[in-house]
Amino acid sequence: MDTSTLETLAVGLLAFFAAGYFVLGGADIGTGMLAPYLGRGDGERRLVLTSFAPFFLGNEVWLVATAGLLIGCFPELEGELLSGQFAVVVPLLAGWVVRDAGLWLRGRAGGSWWRAGCDTAVVCGSWAVALAWGWLLAALFTGSADTTASGPVALLTALAVAALFAAHGLGFAAMRLTGDPYARARVLVGRGGRPWQSFALTGALMAALPLSAGVALPLTESAADGTTLAFLVPALLVVTPLLLAVQAWTWHTFRHRVTRPSYI
Amino acid sequence: MDPSLTFASGPAAPETLDLARLQFALTAGGHFLFVALTLGLATLVACLQTRATLSGSVLHARMVRFWGQLYVINYAVGIVTGIVMEFQFGLSWSGLTHYAGDVFGASMALETVVAFFVESTFLGLWIFGWHRFNRWVHLALIWVVTLTAYASAYWILVANGFLNNPVGYRESGGRLVIGDAAAVFTNPSTLLAFGHIVAGALLTAGFFMAGVSAYHLFKRSPEWEFFGRSLRIGVFVSLPALFVAAAFGGVQFTVMQPMKEAVFSSKAAEVARLQADMVARFGPGDYVPSEAWTRGAGILMLLAFALMMYLCIAGFVLACFKRTVYRFRLWHLALMAAVPLPYVAVISGWVFREAGRQPWVVYGLLKTEDAVSSVSPGAMRTSLIVFTSLFALLAAVNVWLLVRHARVGPVDRGLGHDERAAERDPADSLAAASY
Repeated sequence: MDTSTLETLAVGLLAFFAAGYFVLGGADIGTGMLAPYLGRGDGERRLVLTSFAPFFLGNEVWLVATAGLLIGCFPELEGELLSGQFAVVVPLLAGWVVRDAGLWLRGRAGGSWWRAGCDTAVVCGSWAVALAWGWLLAALFTGSADTTASGPVALLTALAVAALFAAHGLGFAAMRLTGDPYARARVLVGRGGRPWQSFALTGALMAALPLSAGVALPLTESAADGTTLAFLVPALLVVTPLLLAVQAWTWHTFRHRVTRPSYI
Repeated sequence: MDPSLTFASGPAAPETLDLARLQFALTAGGHFLFVALTLGLATLVACLQTRATLSGSVLHARMVRFWGQLYVINYAVGIVTGIVMEFQFGLSWSGLTHYAGDVFGASMALETVVAFFVESTFLGLWIFGWHRFNRWVHLALIWVVTLTAYASAYWILVANGFLNNPVGYRESGGRLVIGDAAAVFTNPSTLLAFGHIVAGALLTAGFFMAGVSAYHLFKRSPEWEFFGRSLRIGVFVSLPALFVAAAFGGVQFTVMQPMKEAVFSSKAAEVARLQADMVARFGPGDYVPSEAWTRGAGILMLLAFALMMYLCIAGFVLACFKRTVYRFRLWHLALMAAVPLPYVAVISGWVFREAGRQPWVVYGLLKTEDAVSSVSPGAMRTSLIVFTSLFALLAAVNVWLLVRHARVGPVDRGLGHDERAAERDPADSLAAASY
């Protein structure tokens, strides 16, 4: 394969993993943002978190893989992007850490205060992640990888992106939950609508976010050396279908709506 | 080094460099505390589950759930701290990704996609699919998790080995590119460190298992058989793990940077000769790493090793007799007190390895001061405060939860709890208090 084909394939892989993260990870982040609305009281809230519990680890690794692809195939851009967006990436990561810690540790100690504290961590962390994504995307949409966005446009973009995360999470919750939380999750689709339609729509919009940001970035210009790509890209192309199969297996295994709590 | 080869966007303030180094040292060290136990305990849990699956023994199935619960708690905190590590290269060390990213980034990419992605997906299946799969499928899941954890460690050490001993590269347009991929992946600095770390992780898990079991035997817990067996596993794993770790550690001295070796051994004349040599090759500068950190950490590691060796040899003999396993309370106390020792050894080992290669980030090619991002000291300080306080909090919570769960002993809740049974239990529908 010549270098330009490899570069195109590397961009394709990056787009695939980034879009995968926004569609899958966006769903559990959105549901986490709305946990206080969907679940009133400790038991209901646990059910809401259970709706995405088996998936969130498998969802967030799409972003870890995106970052890996960025450092492997576009190392120069990775450094420029992350150090340039330092002020946005730090709260994004902090929110992510806080959110995950809340999810993992919620069921591990007794006491309603402990669970309430973990719920707060999940909700605040989810909001921080969604808003930070909006802020980051505001800069990327304009093609400026090395300076953070500011001003009213950045604020509006951040709020709009966060709202999209929430809507996407609501659609996901409507497909996963039962009982009162389910009834609350149907607020967007109404009585007659089908939850999967709303989820498909928000999913398409979520996937469009990183793709439109990527178009404005100098990706092929900053691709890694041909030797690196010739080695990395085929390896990643071979592995990706296997990853997809395992993820599909997870989704199939836990496809039923949640009626009872689990490990979380 | 030719200044034109350094990162183009201008030098960062010296204060930013110190803050970025402190942040990396504290977060990487903090992350590794979790890694060491996770990697070792995953292996032991996978072996226990193999035993339980083959024999159908209830005792072993309970051991899988108890040690598995401690593993999952520790693993969860390890993951969230690892997320920060993944992004820290680009955040704080963009000069490194700029100059060496074509070599260094490839192994990071493979780690995330080939190892961590698979590990996380399978771990989710293992935790949440406890009573959903056939027992052989469930056993296969934990083995995939364990083996991909090893793969993860290997890829990270490919990156780290390259920084310590750059091989298989060539320079092109002022940047490093892969010259010989096989040389990068079979770097002796990588392979020896991998053997050393895998053994160190098993040692950490062995001491942990023995220490927790000793607590219950000391307390004369009714679960004497459960913890007697666990204590033996811990002790019998620790001794060979210690010798393998020591062997790989010892061999590493032969391929180490000469300067690190000279500073560690306090050979003043050799240090002066190497310094003069490096000035001649790379221009004026201080090429001597901090003696306090390098030598201090090296000596602390060897002290911890010596202490563990006596404990392991004595323990190996004592664990052969039922009477001492159940009754020798002084030994139980020693085992409990020894749980932190492997942590002291692994952290001082890392400090020795990384402090001793300064002032280089890529040895002989890129200085640490040329790799730091041009971020303002204020921003770097904020990030340092945010991440280190988060990590400190998480480490404290992790210790608290591990102690709490370890003290309670094997109970029928948490990991592997059968949710279908819970549904039929009317007490459960009242509140989530039983979880």
